[in-house]
Amino acid sequence: MKMISGLDEDSFVACCRLVLQKSEELRDGWRWEQGSEGYLRKTVLHSVSIQEAENSEREIAHKECQSSEAVLLDDEDDDNVAGANCPADPPLWVHSEFHVLFSSSYRTPVMFFRSNTLEGRALSLDAMWSFIKPKLKSSSEEDLLSTVTQQEHPLLGQTFFMLHPCKTNTFMRPVLQAAQRENRAVNYVLTWLSVVGPLVDLFPILLCSRTRASVSERLGFQPTL
Amino acid sequence: MADDKDVLRDVWYGRIPACFTLHQDQVTEREAEPYYLLLPRVSYLTLVTDKVKKHFLKVMRAEDVEEMWLEYEGTPLKWHYPIGVLFDLHASSSILPWNITVHFKDFPERDLLHCSSNSVIEAHFMSGIKEADALKHKSQVVNDMQKKDHKQLWMGLQNDKFDQFWAMNRKLMEYSTEDGGFRYIPFRIYQTTGERPFIQKLFRPLSADGAVHTLGDLLREMYPAAVTHEGAEKRLQVVIHGIEPLLETPLQWLSEHLSHPDNFLHICIIPVPSD
Repeated sequence: MKMISGLDEDSFVACCRLVLQKSEELRDGWRWEQGSEGYLRKTVLHSVSIQEAENSEREIAHKECQSSEAVLLDDEDDDNVAGANCPADPPLWVHSEFHVLFSSSYRTPVMFFRSNTLEGRALSLDAMWSFIKPKLKSSSEEDLLSTVTQQEHPLLGQTFFMLHPCKTNTFMRPVLQAAQRENRAVNYVLTWLSVVGPLVDLFPILLCSRTRASVSERLGFQPTL
Repeated sequence: MADDKDVLRDVWYGRIPACFTLHQDQVTEREAEPYYLLLPRVSYLTLVTDKVKKHFLKVMRAEDVEEMWLEYEGTPLKWHYPIGVLFDLHASSSILPWNITVHFKDFPERDLLHCSSNSVIEAHFMSGIKEADALKHKSQVVNDMQKKDHKQLWMGLQNDKFDQFWAMNRKLMEYSTEDGGFRYIPFRIYQTTGERPFIQKLFRPLSADGAVHTLGDLLREMYPAAVTHEGAEKRLQVVIHGIEPLLETPLQWLSEHLSHPDNFLHICIIPVPSD
């Protein structure tokens, strides 16, 4: 892979092709969405812990759990029983989507993501932060995540969360420079994904452990699993 | 040039008369009167509609009130687009005032971004400015500015202060004579059909051999359907700030004079109105 300080669209597509190959090998579920501008996409159905969720999120989740419990009970209407069967902090099942687009303005990949409950309710940024924040291990991770904002998806026109590309070069540069010094080829998108993906921490990234280790060495923090 | 400065002022002070009406499904304690307001083309809905919110809150119960959102003929209005763009895109062919419907419940989560405070608008606005400068100057000008300079740009917009805004914005409009123009032109082309909300790609103001690129050149590359061929019937209008600039206009000039405060040229492609 050619060593460049930023990325151009063709290189982005080429990097993505390799990511897809690796994903195929590891059954990691990434797909290519074709269009005049293509992008990487992955959807995940998973349960997240909401111990630190806002009270409103917990209330809503609790109600959803209670109503599904009530359906299972027989005719004897007993509110106490329904309440007792619901665990204090039920795990929340969510359907999450992750898109990796190319930003021609910043010459970097950009991450867009969103999560919905199975009832189709969109998760707020606060709710997502409550899952992510406890897992952050350093202030540089927090700094990166401070760039997460609600944005309009530039190709779909729908509401997503976006990890802002402006700080990307800051953390990619030392990694790329190190690789250049050692005459090592670097897949920009794969390296970027191995840093950013675990930060968002809503999906497992089955990447080669060597990539993750070398990245954490350069950056001084451990991308969380 | 005196004429060019006038263009800057005309763009800044463009207004659209609007009439805000509460949606019939909203429960009120008494009849809600419509509210009339002149909207600045270059601002954002959530920045200028506090009075609208206050007006309707007077007739509503607190428990019926969630985040306010606006809609035109069933289409939720994206507050993060400049007001003038929303009007040109959705309502330019209808008679004035622009009739906007106000909602306080059932926020369309999929279609609209939340706007919990003015700092969200500020962050969005500054993000546009930074991205535009990444395209124009590889971010050098905006990064050389201090935090108070960034604040001045925002305050200028928020408080409708042309001079305060342009005292700082002129720096973002400069370029060296040997370059002949910006590195790339920040633009977005909006359309009313299809899923894709806008087209934004890299495009230079000058060609490799130094020829000046025009609006027509940009469209031929990015949206050829908008350029009518000889003898063919014109089906689409190319609208910037409510006007149709000549396709021969140099793109660099358009970028310097008809950009929005976020430093982007927002271009609307709309069907020719059928009377």
